[in-house]
Amino acid sequence: MSLYAVAAGLVLLAAALLGPASSALARARWVDDAPRAAVALWQALGTSAVLSGIGAGLCLAVERYHAGFAGGVSDLVGSLASGHPLTGLGLPDALGLTLAADLVVVLVFLLGSVILRISTTRARHRHLVDLLSLHTHDTGAAVLDHSTAVAYCVPGIRPRIVISAGALELLDDTQLEAVVAHERGHAHERHGLVMLPLVCISKVFALIPYARLAPSSVAGLLEMAADDYAARSQDRGTLASALVSMATAGTLPSCTLGLTGGLVTRRVERLLAQRRRPGGILVGVTGAVLVLLSAPVALLLAV
Amino acid sequence: MGLGQLERRVMGVLWDCPERSLSGREIADRLPDRAYTTVLTILERLRRKKLVERSNEGKVHTFRAAASRESYTASLMLEELGSAEDRNAVLVRFAQTVSPDEAQILRQALDASRAPVP
Repeated sequence: MSLYAVAAGLVLLAAALLGPASSALARARWVDDAPRAAVALWQALGTSAVLSGIGAGLCLAVERYHAGFAGGVSDLVGSLASGHPLTGLGLPDALGLTLAADLVVVLVFLLGSVILRISTTRARHRHLVDLLSLHTHDTGAAVLDHSTAVAYCVPGIRPRIVISAGALELLDDTQLEAVVAHERGHAHERHGLVMLPLVCISKVFALIPYARLAPSSVAGLLEMAADDYAARSQDRGTLASALVSMATAGTLPSCTLGLTGGLVTRRVERLLAQRRRPGGILVGVTGAVLVLLSAPVALLLAV
Repeated sequence: MGLGQLERRVMGVLWDCPERSLSGREIADRLPDRAYTTVLTILERLRRKKLVERSNEGKVHTFRAAASRESYTASLMLEELGSAEDRNAVLVRFAQTVSPDEAQILRQALDASRAPVP
């Protein structure tokens, strides 16, 4: 099999993962039964596509060595080290190297700049919460003096869980405990970190379905994961009632219309329904993740 | 007491006195368990973070909060409720607001779940 054929296969694989596969996963409803597994699947889709893209570029770049993929890459590294990397470089080689290098550079640069900006915003938010909070609630949450009922988590090494005076007024004690337990789930499972790379790509690759769909889907799945975390120590019905109270307390800003996509309803439904055991789903997803991550590598090592 | 806690107390003094700027001495007097120099150090830290503004009245530096407690709280709420594109990454909110129709359905679902099973 020629390296060109493998490169074409990898590009097709990446396109399938970032396009139809992502759209299908965004529509799937089994994810509500196993939100954490679904998040892992989203991550595997993205990782596999990036590996495929880098691999395809390298295939094009090392074809001229006629030494297969592994041999070609070691020849390329040798020529880079010798200081004459561009000698005899044809158009496909140059294109391939550019593709591979661009993907790596763009992703690293993007990730770096977005992480920097978001951590600065988060740090300032945490600092202001520390300065402004009226007191610390019995649950450990910082209380902000504002009439709008909100509860949220500011991620960080020392995450802050914030509730507003409006939320204290709206919810009873058990509901508050359930809400704070949910936010603790976000903090404990580092959901802020999970979202970072997705937020990066959503800015730059907005034309790709994965980059559009993954951030909102995963954000919703993380809410369900936090609900599940809270449900370990709290009553599911209490959490559902707190969720309904909070979601129906405010007036809906017109700009978010349609953005919620029924997420609150889905969360309430799964909290109130009989808990289904997601055993089959977990087995399936684990298999899919393994296949996704090994497919590009296997294709490359086969030549 | 950590620096964060001290910053909190100094900001508290400034926020509680919105009508005029205070000199470092006046602020230190309101924090009797803290040395004057410590208070000045904290004020300088807060000024670098743009939370405190300094001006000169005669030969004396005076300080005031850059904005009121309420407007800072409002700015946090705006960040939290706003539709900033990367809001999902900065913060994680408990519940988004739903449409009136969705609200109706949700309340019915809750009521149904509370009704005794026949």
